[in-house]
Amino acid sequence: MSALTGGVGPAAATAGPAAAAALRRVTGVPLVRLLAKRLVAAAVIVVALATSVFVLQRLSPLDPAKAMLGPGASASAVAQQRAKLGLDDPFAAQLGRYLVGLPQGDLGMSYRTRRPVMTDLGAFVPATAELAFTAIVLALLLGIFFAVSTSLRWPGASVLRGVLMAGASAPAFLLGIGAILVFYKQLGWLPASGRSSITDLPGGPSGLLVLDGLLAGRFDVVSDALKHLVLPALAISFGPSVAIGRVLRTSLSSEERSDYARTARAKGLTDGAVLRRHVLRNAVGPALSMTGLQVGLMFAGVLVVEQIFAWPGIGQYTAQSIPVADFPAIAGVTLLLGIGYVVINTVVDILQGLADPRITT
Amino acid sequence: MSQDDTTAAVATAPPPTDAGEPVARVEDLHVTFRRAGADIRAIRGVSLEVAPGEIVGLVGESGSGKSVLGLSLLGLLGGSPRTSGRAVVRGADMLTAGAAERRDVRRLHLGAVFQDPMTSLNPTMRVGRQIVEAAGSEDEAVRLLKAVGVPDPARRLRAYPHELSGGLRQRVMIAMAVAGTPSLVIADEPTTALDVTVQAQVLGLVKRLRDEIGCAFLLVTHDLGVAAQVVDRVAVMYAGRITEVGPADEVLRNGAHPYGVALMRSRLSLRTDRDTPLLALPGSVPSPADPEPGCAFAPRCTLAGPDCTTTPPVPVEVAPGHLAACVRDLAEIRAFADAVPAEEPPAAGTSSGATAPAAAAVAGTDDGPVEEPAAVRVQNAYRTYGVGSGIGRRRPLQALRGVSLTVARGEAVAVVGESGSGKSTLLRLVAGLERADGGTIELGSAAGAQMVFQDSGASLTPWLTIGELVRERLRSAGVPRAERDRRVAEALELVGLPAEVAKARGTQLSGGQRQRVGLARATVVPPEILLCDEPTSALDVSLAASVINLVGRLRRELDMAVLFVTHDLSVARVVADRIAVMYLGRIVEIGTADEITHRPRHPYTQALVAAVPDLGVEPPPPSGEPASPLDPPPGCAFHPRCPRATASCSDPGLDPRLAAQPGERTRLTACINLEVS
Repeated sequence: MSALTGGVGPAAATAGPAAAAALRRVTGVPLVRLLAKRLVAAAVIVVALATSVFVLQRLSPLDPAKAMLGPGASASAVAQQRAKLGLDDPFAAQLGRYLVGLPQGDLGMSYRTRRPVMTDLGAFVPATAELAFTAIVLALLLGIFFAVSTSLRWPGASVLRGVLMAGASAPAFLLGIGAILVFYKQLGWLPASGRSSITDLPGGPSGLLVLDGLLAGRFDVVSDALKHLVLPALAISFGPSVAIGRVLRTSLSSEERSDYARTARAKGLTDGAVLRRHVLRNAVGPALSMTGLQVGLMFAGVLVVEQIFAWPGIGQYTAQSIPVADFPAIAGVTLLLGIGYVVINTVVDILQGLADPRITT
Repeated sequence: MSQDDTTAAVATAPPPTDAGEPVARVEDLHVTFRRAGADIRAIRGVSLEVAPGEIVGLVGESGSGKSVLGLSLLGLLGGSPRTSGRAVVRGADMLTAGAAERRDVRRLHLGAVFQDPMTSLNPTMRVGRQIVEAAGSEDEAVRLLKAVGVPDPARRLRAYPHELSGGLRQRVMIAMAVAGTPSLVIADEPTTALDVTVQAQVLGLVKRLRDEIGCAFLLVTHDLGVAAQVVDRVAVMYAGRITEVGPADEVLRNGAHPYGVALMRSRLSLRTDRDTPLLALPGSVPSPADPEPGCAFAPRCTLAGPDCTTTPPVPVEVAPGHLAACVRDLAEIRAFADAVPAEEPPAAGTSSGATAPAAAAVAGTDDGPVEEPAAVRVQNAYRTYGVGSGIGRRRPLQALRGVSLTVARGEAVAVVGESGSGKSTLLRLVAGLERADGGTIELGSAAGAQMVFQDSGASLTPWLTIGELVRERLRSAGVPRAERDRRVAEALELVGLPAEVAKARGTQLSGGQRQRVGLARATVVPPEILLCDEPTSALDVSLAASVINLVGRLRRELDMAVLFVTHDLSVARVVADRIAVMYLGRIVEIGTADEITHRPRHPYTQALVAAVPDLGVEPPPPSGEPASPLDPPPGCAFHPRCPRATASCSDPGLDPRLAAQPGERTRLTACINLEVS
């Protein structure tokens, strides 16, 4: 969350004391109300997602018991295993058991790893979280860069717009493969697989290598982790950043022509002051909304890109779980992404409230 | 020259020689924009001076170039136009000076107030910070807010613009404009977005600030009444040129250019004759893409001759300080001004004698049933909205709080009120666009209601032709296909549009033509009642007059009732038989047009009538602003602003009902402290 706040730094910085005051305001009753609403939304989403995964499991021709025991298992052994896993219970009972377990953090037992799904996720999530947050921050920074550089009047602006359009139309996996071919194979600048080349990594506490490296004073770990992050994060964030950049550019140019910007100029402010103090804060709203929308797409991108870059995150975990019908693992990942989506969009809403005082009244 | 010299002397501004150099001097200014491959000649040779401490009014219809002139002086012309001539403010030419120099002039010597204070203030910045940007310090900001009459200024500094009322917002804009005591404030339609009672207060403020600070104002306005109230000198603009300039009283009373004369004549006031058609200017403002070589007004001018169309007329002095750009003799123009327009077709009358009995018959609608068949009968209608979005909680906005109104067959009723009065909500309920939360709304017949909207451009689907738009209702009304084209042509003819318009699209028409299309669409199948939602408020005076004439004529030819919502009492007076005055979701007074405008009885109606800007009227500014319908005051909702309020007026148990005075049949007033004469 802190990484995301950092991403809109320019906007937050211009807001200054006004932002501090706005924070006081949103931390009042309206914020509690928003969080309560989002908690309810998250609960509804969790139930809906869990139900869909269970329905899929019902419809799937794969038998988890058979998958666990291997192709040579006898019919009676499979039947015994099915009973043990509770697969023969009525659908509602299975779903109910699962939902009741959720509040206690019980996501069931993975059929494949034979460990609690929660434990598995704990092992894989930090890698994905680090990649996803890097990608979101990068998407915002690139978006701002694209917005400004395509709206300025310089000879390359229209060429850049064309390149961006082409880049944004390429799927993330293609960008990933292309990036590997250029920056790893040809130029040899950046690594193309895994999170780190260092063996004695600091053991914690967050599992985020950049953060843990900083905490442990291991700057070799930090720079190595950052190098590994660059290519996959770029592949994920490029498309969303173009979308964010386009929205931001449109809102910047329309806010530049607004009545209040004219008022600010009439006061004798410089163009720079008009942009920084008046226009920017009014223009970030649509870009933030677009960011929230793009997060869902970026999650899908993360799962694919992790495969290409051999990133040890939940993308890998999911890829291994699907062929063996490891439904508890699949359900766990699904719920995690759903909650992640709600969380990110709640953060976006709070940031919009900070940017625009009218939203909370 | 027949004008009264003493009047002119009183009205003339202090001569510039007394006060030194003019603060602003425009010399032969030309401004040409390039739009879609065509040259838009916004200003075509304007010269004007503003003396220190002088209030100069710049009056004209839309497209006359008056706002462009203001922006030229501010050095804020957008869209990189071609310019020639000079626009000098305190020695700096705002057309050619460098960006830094222009910025310094704006910061030190200029202030600006724009039309809509909601959009002209940064919505995401506290007003205090916005004022400090111009004023330099918070103490100075507090002092300025106090000077412009903002109560509790220190607390207001912490407010965001949306937390202030419209009047307070415009006062904040004015405080910013006069920060650092500029030499000149450019005020572009500063009161157009405000309620009429608030407008009077803001105009009073402008005058007071000029007296206290000594700064000059360039007041850009389309409203001649506004100009008449505060300006020392007035310049009338038409199609990028000044047609006439001189002392305000002189220009407005003794116009020396046919355009100014025609503008004054088509203007509505509370003295406008209700029984003859309004004097609409024929034709429309010429396109700035293709200006006339000679006098731009010649195509619309009754006095024009062949000598008018070759070269632009040179301004000549017709009275001390009064210049007019017309080649005709002054005597001829004066004769035109005094002429009784007998040649106007009598068909365009607005009030009709046939409806007077109907009007009388529906009096007493509030109590007792009415036997007369009604076009619409609204009984005790309530409507509440939930407002607030996003993270905030929703609050009830009480738009209508028990409204009863009956419109008889063929009768025209105007509903007048300020923002938040519920007048548009009432119209939407009658139109069936929304449902009432309580009460009943009955339409007299299946012919139903049709609506004409304020923004006629936005209410025409852009990709459909006018013919298709007008035809739509014929299909649903079951008119045979073969007949539809003929009916469309008839409807267009009836509203005075040429038949070719059927093939055009909304964006190709002028504002006045679009409003006529709106009327054609509403009347192609004549409704029982025509609902008009401020159809003239976005139009220039000359067009507004022709639309009002048209509504009156359609009403009689098609035998419709009309329910006409407007914020403008002088419009209500000429379109309607009866006027209902609304305040905060209730009708506070209803009566015949003459009763309401000439003998108002409710204190609010009296305040409204007094606030109508006009020549030679010095309105006592009513105190306060309309209260919020989110939080209507208890008892009589008007009591916080009422000069006659007593303790019992604020009693939460009080429910002032409409009641007639003894011996009166047509007028009902909801007030417990009436001064009955």
